[in-house]
Amino acid sequence: MDGVSFLRPVRPTAGAQVRFMTAGSVDDGKSTLIGRLLLDSLSLMQDQIGALAGEGDELDLASLTDGLEAERAQGITIDVAYRYFATPRTSFVIADAPGHEQYTRNMVTAASVSDVAVIVVDAVRFDGVALLPQTRRHAAIAALMGLELIVAVNKMDLVEWSKAKFDAICQAFRAATEALGASAIAFVPISAKAGDNVVTRGRAGWYAGPTLIEVLEATPARASRAEAPLRLPVQLVLRDGDARLYAGRLESGTVRTGDEVAVGVAAFPTKVASISVSGRTAAQALAGDSVTLTLAEERDLGPGGVIADLEVRYARRFVVDLCWLDETQWSPTRRYKLRQGTLETQALIGRVRSVRDIATFAGVEASALRLNDIASVEIATRDPLLADRYADLPGTGAFVLFDPDTHQTAAAGMIREVL
Amino acid sequence: MRLAYERDSAVTDASSTPAGALAAEARLHRLEAEAIFILRELAHYARPALMFSGGKDSAVLLHVAMKAFAPAKPPFALLHIDTGHNFPEVITFRDKRAVETGLPLVVRSVEDSIRRGSVRVAGESASRNGAQAVTLLEAQNELAFDVMIGGARRDEEKARAKERVFSHRDAFGAWQPRAQRPELWSLYNRHIAQGEHMRVFPLSNWTEADVWAYIAREEIELPSLYYAHEREVVRRDGLLMPVTALTPRREEEASESVVVRFRTVGDITCTCPVESDADDAWSVLLETLSASVSERGATRMDDRVNAAAMERRKLEGYF
Repeated sequence: MDGVSFLRPVRPTAGAQVRFMTAGSVDDGKSTLIGRLLLDSLSLMQDQIGALAGEGDELDLASLTDGLEAERAQGITIDVAYRYFATPRTSFVIADAPGHEQYTRNMVTAASVSDVAVIVVDAVRFDGVALLPQTRRHAAIAALMGLELIVAVNKMDLVEWSKAKFDAICQAFRAATEALGASAIAFVPISAKAGDNVVTRGRAGWYAGPTLIEVLEATPARASRAEAPLRLPVQLVLRDGDARLYAGRLESGTVRTGDEVAVGVAAFPTKVASISVSGRTAAQALAGDSVTLTLAEERDLGPGGVIADLEVRYARRFVVDLCWLDETQWSPTRRYKLRQGTLETQALIGRVRSVRDIATFAGVEASALRLNDIASVEIATRDPLLADRYADLPGTGAFVLFDPDTHQTAAAGMIREVL
Repeated sequence: MRLAYERDSAVTDASSTPAGALAAEARLHRLEAEAIFILRELAHYARPALMFSGGKDSAVLLHVAMKAFAPAKPPFALLHIDTGHNFPEVITFRDKRAVETGLPLVVRSVEDSIRRGSVRVAGESASRNGAQAVTLLEAQNELAFDVMIGGARRDEEKARAKERVFSHRDAFGAWQPRAQRPELWSLYNRHIAQGEHMRVFPLSNWTEADVWAYIAREEIELPSLYYAHEREVVRRDGLLMPVTALTPRREEEASESVVVRFRTVGDITCTCPVESDADDAWSVLLETLSASVSERGATRMDDRVNAAAMERRKLEGYF
């Protein structure tokens, strides 16, 4: 069964790609904002606009993204919805993430495939002092995962476009995120419902900055992963007669025929004999390419092994940040399955160093890991892992933990330090 | 390839520069690389099946799968759930591709499920799209497939927009949208328990236009009814209904011969063509990009019934 586009099809010819997620507390208007972006960037078909008719004259913009019956019934977003749209300059992937604390793990899912987080703050509900806990949690997770932050102060029409209120929210956000070592690249006062400063310019005379879509279009491209050290985790070994072809995707770096590379945990040096990208012979391949390689010398290398640059290091003990995503809390005696790149091995969490307090972002001592906790822990693994820090090499500095019995995805992990 | 760039340039203003054309090429390259990565992940499973209907999305999926494992063959069986309500061109195409790729083709039919009593239909001409889910799960069970690969895309429909690339199905084959596993980076969780299976959608992030641009770039063959042809139709409820043995002309209706193409190909009783003279993939792409009305709901009667029609079918095991 095949299908056509639900939204207006994205032009494959659009320019650079920006992947962004929406975050913020429940009811702050994230889904409405996405509806507004789609509507005003002319990404909707006429009949879809017709189907948005809510009560009275107002369009029910949120109904575009709340795709599940349960969501429409409860008026909240449970899981991430992915949407695709384009402006003449940029093609966008939106991950519309839920705000409800119970569904934080789905927000983490959205963050892991995004470059930017648009954090929506409800100007009406701001008490003049602190951001809502879930807003803080989202800012913390987005910053931890290396996303750029954009703050959209929403419902400004309901506070009469008060500059004082806007400034106070910006101030509270800056104060809150300082401890994270993160800062927002922009603050934009908007009304998602009325359409101010989202795609078209708004009514606040005092605001001369860019609209939200302009900020998104100008999002600085992440440092090119092609310049980083080579990491090619092997997915499988194909055979062509007697030749062994190593198939996988470059998580970072560039590889050319004749390059010296380090194969596997023992880092055996050898040369790249040939490269094929998407079925065609090529002289080089870049980060993101799915390739097959042949090597000058056959080495003991199978699925889970890595072809890397000569400086590669492996280790078994790390300090990592974990987002605990399982309803079953961490058990110190259990060995979790750990996946880094294409390798699956076992891991033991030796010690919980601290769990972040969501109010202050400070680390507090803890001995348990529960659903939605963000923690710094020490882990040890059965097989050596790439000693890549997430901040340097996000493709291989990231890992996940699976529960060995229920197979649930238990945690998202990021390597901070090698012990 | 040169031709592709030139045709790209005709598509939008944004691509009238070489950079624009390159960006289009870069986009398809990125989507293809991602799909190849996902397909190669499936070497992990013992008994994978690629759901192959002969439709355009599954034709693209099969094309990418052949690249992903070249020079070897993909370790996949092709599985078609036959509603018995097919367009003959599509079945011919299905069989031809199975022979060309050398992959084993398994066909299980809704008709057999009806005979067994696991499916009941209102009448001969009632849509069998919903019933497909039952037959699909019966086939999964009978042949012990641990992963079923589909060409579904997130841009097709609201419930699909929520689905993971690796979508876990419990022992009843049901999707649990409220308890999906988190899916982090591309570190997919492939694990399943006994009796469970995985549905995997390598084209999740493609849009309809991407599919057409890729078909054009790669010169992927499709059943002829995707391109402009003359067909006898009646106009009903604002849609064009093809006149076939299963969907005859009603007495009060007048049939006419119209130049049409199909945007989707499914159960003959609920798949409607649109008026079009697009006779190759590039022309279809141009039309797709300039469309202002119509969507899945405009060509597929089964999704018009209820806003949650797709979600409900998916809960019961539909893909």
